[in-house]
Amino acid sequence: MLFNQAPRLPMVTFPPIARALGTRRGRLLIENVTAYLFLAPAGLLILLFGIFPVAFAFFVSLHRWRRFPDEYVGLANYEKALGNLGYILFFWLAIIALASAVKMGRRLQKLLRVSSDQRGFANVAAGLVAGYAALLVIDWFFKLVPVIMLIPRQVRRQNTTLSLFMEKLGESFTTPDVYAAGNLMLVGLLIGILAITLAVWRFRCADSGQLIALSAATAGIAGAGIFLLQLTVAETQAAIAAARDSGEALPIWSQLVFISAGIALIAGAWLIFRHGIGAYDNRRFVLQLVSGLMLAVGGYLLMAEAPAALAAADDDLLQGFWVTIMYATGTVPVQLSIGLLLAYLLFQPIRFRAFFRMVYFIPYITPFVATSIVFRIIFDAGQYAPANRILSIAGIEPQRWILERSTIGDLLGLPDFLAGPSLALIVIMIYSTWTYIGYDAVIFLAGLGNIPGELYEAARIDGASGWRIFRHITLPLLSPTVFFLSLVAIIGTFQAFTQIWILRTGAVGNKVNTASVYIFDELQNSNRYGYASSMAFVLFALILLMTLFQNRVMGRRVFYG
Amino acid sequence: MASEVENLRAAPNRRPPVGSARKDISWSRIGIYAVLFAGVIIAIGPFLWMISASFMTLSEVNLTRLLPENLLWENYATALRRANFLNIEIGADPQTGLLQSLSISGYIWNSVRITLITVLGSLAVCIPAAYAFARMKFVGRNFLFALFLSTMMIPGIVMLIPHLLTVIWLGRLSESLFGPLGAWFNNWPALTIPFFASVFNIFLLRQFFIQIPLDLWEAARIDGAGHPRFLISVVLPLSKAPIMTIVTLGFIGSWNALMWPLLVTINDEWRPIAVGLSNFVTADTPGDLNLQMAASVITVIPILLLYFVAQKQFTEGIAQTGIRG
Repeated sequence: MLFNQAPRLPMVTFPPIARALGTRRGRLLIENVTAYLFLAPAGLLILLFGIFPVAFAFFVSLHRWRRFPDEYVGLANYEKALGNLGYILFFWLAIIALASAVKMGRRLQKLLRVSSDQRGFANVAAGLVAGYAALLVIDWFFKLVPVIMLIPRQVRRQNTTLSLFMEKLGESFTTPDVYAAGNLMLVGLLIGILAITLAVWRFRCADSGQLIALSAATAGIAGAGIFLLQLTVAETQAAIAAARDSGEALPIWSQLVFISAGIALIAGAWLIFRHGIGAYDNRRFVLQLVSGLMLAVGGYLLMAEAPAALAAADDDLLQGFWVTIMYATGTVPVQLSIGLLLAYLLFQPIRFRAFFRMVYFIPYITPFVATSIVFRIIFDAGQYAPANRILSIAGIEPQRWILERSTIGDLLGLPDFLAGPSLALIVIMIYSTWTYIGYDAVIFLAGLGNIPGELYEAARIDGASGWRIFRHITLPLLSPTVFFLSLVAIIGTFQAFTQIWILRTGAVGNKVNTASVYIFDELQNSNRYGYASSMAFVLFALILLMTLFQNRVMGRRVFYG
Repeated sequence: MASEVENLRAAPNRRPPVGSARKDISWSRIGIYAVLFAGVIIAIGPFLWMISASFMTLSEVNLTRLLPENLLWENYATALRRANFLNIEIGADPQTGLLQSLSISGYIWNSVRITLITVLGSLAVCIPAAYAFARMKFVGRNFLFALFLSTMMIPGIVMLIPHLLTVIWLGRLSESLFGPLGAWFNNWPALTIPFFASVFNIFLLRQFFIQIPLDLWEAARIDGAGHPRFLISVVLPLSKAPIMTIVTLGFIGSWNALMWPLLVTINDEWRPIAVGLSNFVTADTPGDLNLQMAASVITVIPILLLYFVAQKQFTEGIAQTGIRG
């Protein structure tokens, strides 16, 4: 009895609250609040160090910014990085944003047709208003950021106290620009919240939530697209006008048209070619002819225009991209195929499997700094360095390895277009392959273990040979693993840093700097935050594009059983 | 060819039993072992030579001897001192011999501190979040989870600059709150706090928490336990394995970190070991290669020890998730 009554005590003291919390609704509320309390630390940190930085990096890239915000320069950083292609990329970005807004609008339309009454429209209107309000919040925020970012500089020479800091923080909210945007934002938020409340209370229908969310997202993306388009057009015209003043012509518009047409033609050629594969003889011939023609014209347009568009680009950055591409093509296929071979052999019934697996994994887990230093010594230029010792056994004269900036093509006496990577880059490629083989093998081994044994059994009964089993059963069933590993490996090469940082020497200059190393240099040595941000964004776009491309082209061939 | 098929037949289960190797010796079997052992030599050859070279004199390293004539243990002492890896100063009272002051400094000590803070902070932040995603119903759960996961795809180089700016600004704020001790830049907060909320850890833990039977939760609730109580006294004791994986990965991640610490440290107060080693080596080129090797061995040893201890769990964890911390 006593025990039963004890917990009820608070109920007696606060009857209304306790009763409210005891109901189903009350319990739901408690669960929600607890969940958000659990999430709060992680959510705050991810917002601060995971989501906000992306928008912030973009914002920084539109400014001249050296440790502290300097001035707004529009797309100048992108022009410096990529020449006219920078503007063209922004056009595409704006078009993509607008196109996806249109696509979402069409989905919205479809949803409305299903729930065709006034209530649906009310929900959509509320969502659009809320989306616009969200844009106003972003606008206010990014007007506030440069002001706030200057506070550390303002209080630098003074004795920093909390009151001083807070005073500066308060002042930054009342600078005219921020103040106006803030008022607008408050009004927008108020109207948005009112509209949503109204929609939910008075015009509730089956898919209210979906309608509101979708229309808010549409408004947001459309707004972003319009902003990008406006920015790009204004910047392009300014650049052209500036060029005209100094007596030059800046053919950005024609380059935009020609390069876009070239890429569209090549993409179209690919589509038509694919379409033609399934067609009958005559049609197939015509289709292939057409696609070949389109490919030729598109390729010609690109070849003719791209160099001009890239003429003003940063050579070091282009070199960085080129190095990255060579690095990826030189390491990824090699490391994947050796990893697969080792995994396949390990999968056979052998002794010491656990030992092999453990040993192969060691290069991957040990600190890259330490193993890079070993490679630095192995591939030293000295006559008695380990690598040269091994070469001398084979009767080859010693090489300068990590100090060698001439390309492998030069060393073999090949013509220029077969130049390839420098020998120093080759050393870095060997290092990366060495590091990742074990990792690939372990994951391939897990993939092999997931293939059901009955398939092998059946194939064996049908009299298939070892190679054919491998080719027609193992490989297709392993394709998700291959896909995953190649994706990870390519993204990894774009982000490679430590091994290059240690293995590069002053003698090879920029011959081994991948794009990310160059970006880091700009940041660390030159403090050009704005410019480094813009280059990081270009790299990000490139990675995203490649991931999409790989998903489309390779993802189609992946067999998920 | 035929024996390959026979080998395949021996693998009808998901995982062929270890040690089921057949007694007969065939050429293909010898070939397999030859390739696998070649792989072993390539994988650990550089390590073995690194260890061997760390005991040599400089001229022996330069001539690429395979083994040192005498084991020069003093290389390690010199490397520890020259690379500023570890300095321990014990101040004892001359009369009583009691310990009066103890000061430890050096890159190893820094890395140990950074690693401890990162791992503990990460557990404190990620466990509740993962639990909420796995076991609680709340508005916007799927959206938030998708949002969290999407941040994993953003390359680190994009985040570098905003992180730096945020850290500088937050550091100023906290300095105005706590004085010089609260600084972020060139201090532990910049090196640890951005890594507390690891989406990968949250994902890994959530996958594990989801598998805990619902009956346990029902039973706990009938006994009057709420979510916090259930998390602490039921879920955590059950989740030793994933927590161990996270600790291992976190340890390796912060022991290896180079790019970010290069950016946010300016002196040896908090600089971690990877930066220390990198600076030691790049500052003394061509320099004392034997000492460089000794310093590298010192850096590698803790990771290797941890790997040998947690090896099985660790490889499995990576095989399942495919990502290094």
